Amino acid sequence: MTDVVSPAEDTLGAEEGDRLDSNLFGSVVLEADGLRREYGPVIAVDGIDLSLAEGEFLTIFGPNGAGKSSLLGMLAGAMRPTAGIVRVRGQELAFSDTGWRHRIGMLSHRGFLYGRLTAEENLRFYGKLFGLVDLEERIPARLDQVGLGARARFQARQLSHGMRQRLSLARALLHDPDVVLLDEPYTGLDPSAAGVLRGVLEELKDGRRTVVMVTHNLREGLEMATRVAIQVAGRFAWHGRIESVDREDFERHYHEVVEARA
Amino acid sequence: MNTYLTQMWAIIWKDLILEIRSRERIAAMGAFAVLAGVLFNFSIDTTTTRPQDVAAGLIWMTLVFGGLLGVGRTFHLESQDGALQGVLMSPAPKDAVFLAKTAANFALLYAVSLLVLGVFGLFFGVGPGQNLGWVVLVLGVGSLGFVALGTLFAAVSTGTSMGETLLPVLVFPLLVPMVIYGAGATTWLMNGRPFVEVEGNVRMLGAFALAAVAAGAVLFRYVVED
Repeated sequence: MTDVVSPAEDTLGAEEGDRLDSNLFGSVVLEADGLRREYGPVIAVDGIDLSLAEGEFLTIFGPNGAGKSSLLGMLAGAMRPTAGIVRVRGQELAFSDTGWRHRIGMLSHRGFLYGRLTAEENLRFYGKLFGLVDLEERIPARLDQVGLGARARFQARQLSHGMRQRLSLARALLHDPDVVLLDEPYTGLDPSAAGVLRGVLEELKDGRRTVVMVTHNLREGLEMATRVAIQVAGRFAWHGRIESVDREDFERHYHEVVEARA
Repeated sequence: MNTYLTQMWAIIWKDLILEIRSRERIAAMGAFAVLAGVLFNFSIDTTTTRPQDVAAGLIWMTLVFGGLLGVGRTFHLESQDGALQGVLMSPAPKDAVFLAKTAANFALLYAVSLLVLGVFGLFFGVGPGQNLGWVVLVLGVGSLGFVALGTLFAAVSTGTSMGETLLPVLVFPLLVPMVIYGAGATTWLMNGRPFVEVEGNVRMLGAFALAAVAAGAVLFRYVVED
């Protein structure tokens, strides 16, 4: 099984043609082959291939309209690809089957929360949809994990934006998914809330989960990543391992890549 | 309880608890029902028109229009923070989601239909008398068919720019058989006729309701999947 990322002809920079040795990581968890999504005449995602192993954390940067959220939507099984397939642990995401949904957790820029349900009730609701049976232990543990243990009885609408974002993360992690997809998790967070979120995301790098994060926040994105990609016009215009990234110079590199493909 | 029923119950509980806390839909439907009863009370001359001849039609008309106010907003709360996507990304089967939303809507509409019955009994001095149980049954079966269609088409219209404006346009033509059979059966029962005389109407109404529920359960996934 090939390991990681986009076709060679779609690669710029030092990592051109790079394929990561899967032995560096665990078994392959998330794969996409020829993923494409069209909205009428607009091509949002234009044939992306990727393969991520257990423990990998891929951060995807890119300008607005690059198709990052569409890519995540398809990886999450929330959006049907126009072409291509997604597999989680070798199982194709078929819309007629729901078993694979246990393996995926997604934090979108929308929280999927009900404002008039308490934090605890929101988690209990989703826990039941996922068929979880140990909710009495699991819910307090997740709320404590995101620092909301004391806010369990607060309705979601009474929480600050940062707290709702953390509650959304608790919701996304409630069923202990193998694959965690994060769409702009830092949007609208103050530095303190971002710090709390960063702490929780650090815990996700436990070597067992595979994480894909879309963000505009270069510093936070690089902090977490084991792999980095820049998506432009629906394709990975550049990708590389975090070890090959010059963090001090990454912003300039990012702009060069985007302008070259724009 | 198996997982399917647990998932359904979670959605029903969530919809009802949200409604109890917001009172958004029940207030709109209830206010409409009372207002309609008051207006009809003043607009119908009971010296020339027998109330029991028109009451059933007015009850069903109030039920349909009032019901649209509530059912049309069934996905409103779901769409506020993208929650519907969260539900659809869970392992809950789409037909379970549809059946649960329909059941929650049914509970609301059935409560309103009984309120409508009470309001019209109060203002017109007419009631089902000894046929009360049968009238309640007919309203229940009719409400079920209505919410099944309403829930399915509310999902269709929620994703469009015309939103709630589109819902009546889509639903009304399909409601015609239900209203004909339901109002017909209710009129006869409120005039004191025995149930056996309207049994055919009620069977047709029941068949319509079951067909609407089954069609909705099958078609819902095609409506909500992106």
